[in-house]
Amino acid sequence: MVLSFFDQFMSPSYLGIPLMALALILPWTLYPKPTSQWISNRVLTLQGWFINRFTQQLMLPLGRKGHKWALLLTSLMIFLITLNMLGLLPYTFTPTTQLSLNMGFAVPLWLATVLIGMRNQPTIALGHLLPEGTPTPLIPVLIIIETISLFIRPIALGVRLTANLTAGHLLIQLIATAAFVLAPLMPTVALLTATLLLLLTLLEVAVAMIQAYVFVLLLSLYLQENV
Amino acid sequence: MPTSPVNTRIPLTSFGHLITEVKKQLFGIKAPTSVELTGLRKYFNSYTLQGRRNCVLATYGVFAAAAAAYFMRRQNKKEPQTSSST
Repeated sequence: MVLSFFDQFMSPSYLGIPLMALALILPWTLYPKPTSQWISNRVLTLQGWFINRFTQQLMLPLGRKGHKWALLLTSLMIFLITLNMLGLLPYTFTPTTQLSLNMGFAVPLWLATVLIGMRNQPTIALGHLLPEGTPTPLIPVLIIIETISLFIRPIALGVRLTANLTAGHLLIQLIATAAFVLAPLMPTVALLTATLLLLLTLLEVAVAMIQAYVFVLLLSLYLQENV
Repeated sequence: MPTSPVNTRIPLTSFGHLITEVKKQLFGIKAPTSVELTGLRKYFNSYTLQGRRNCVLATYGVFAAAAAAYFMRRQNKKEPQTSSST
């Protein structure tokens, strides 16, 4: 069986049964549930501290109406960051390299923010489509541009996450293959390639965390405009 | 060290908002007072929230009307062609 570089992005299945659901459930099994004990153990305390701190920072610019989104956004952040980090393990499928999954998150959540804005404060939501102080001849042009940028938002959200993860994984595989092939031929060059691979892996760890954060942060910014 | 004249909390949700905020803080957009806005400019301007909303709705309305006129014209052209062929 000849493997290509893109086989790592194929949706996994076993005996015809798609394993995507298993891949998506895995992050849930990795986090301990808070117990009814008065003082939790170190892991639970750290987990609770991180979740509280993150939610506090995310909800800071949002008003009270936006606080309803705290659970959704924080759980989305933890889900994405876990999927991204787990995908960096060798031979592990990364669900967030699938555009369908990322668009499945981006489009409904973006649409929800737009509909909330149109329903609760339609004047302000429509007013956002024209910047203040625009010269009169530019008004129609700028309205069209802002409308296009509004509709491009969910596409950008989904594609940004997909492209970053896919490109990173592809680079890792390419450089690892290069180091492996060069090892018997040019050991010094293979060592340099392996060093590059190590640095790239560290970069990919950062990218995995940052991209999950950027996804959730942009959603909270879109919500801030509309809530 | 000279400090920036621009405040740091600029909303970054769109490029338009960024430019507006920078213009406001560096140059000061002198929005006309409500007395100066007369006639059509009272309802269609880019300074008040209602004015901006009305401009957006008017632009969408013009595009919708143009699209409706175009499709109706295309339908009218198709109907004489089919009736002449039969």
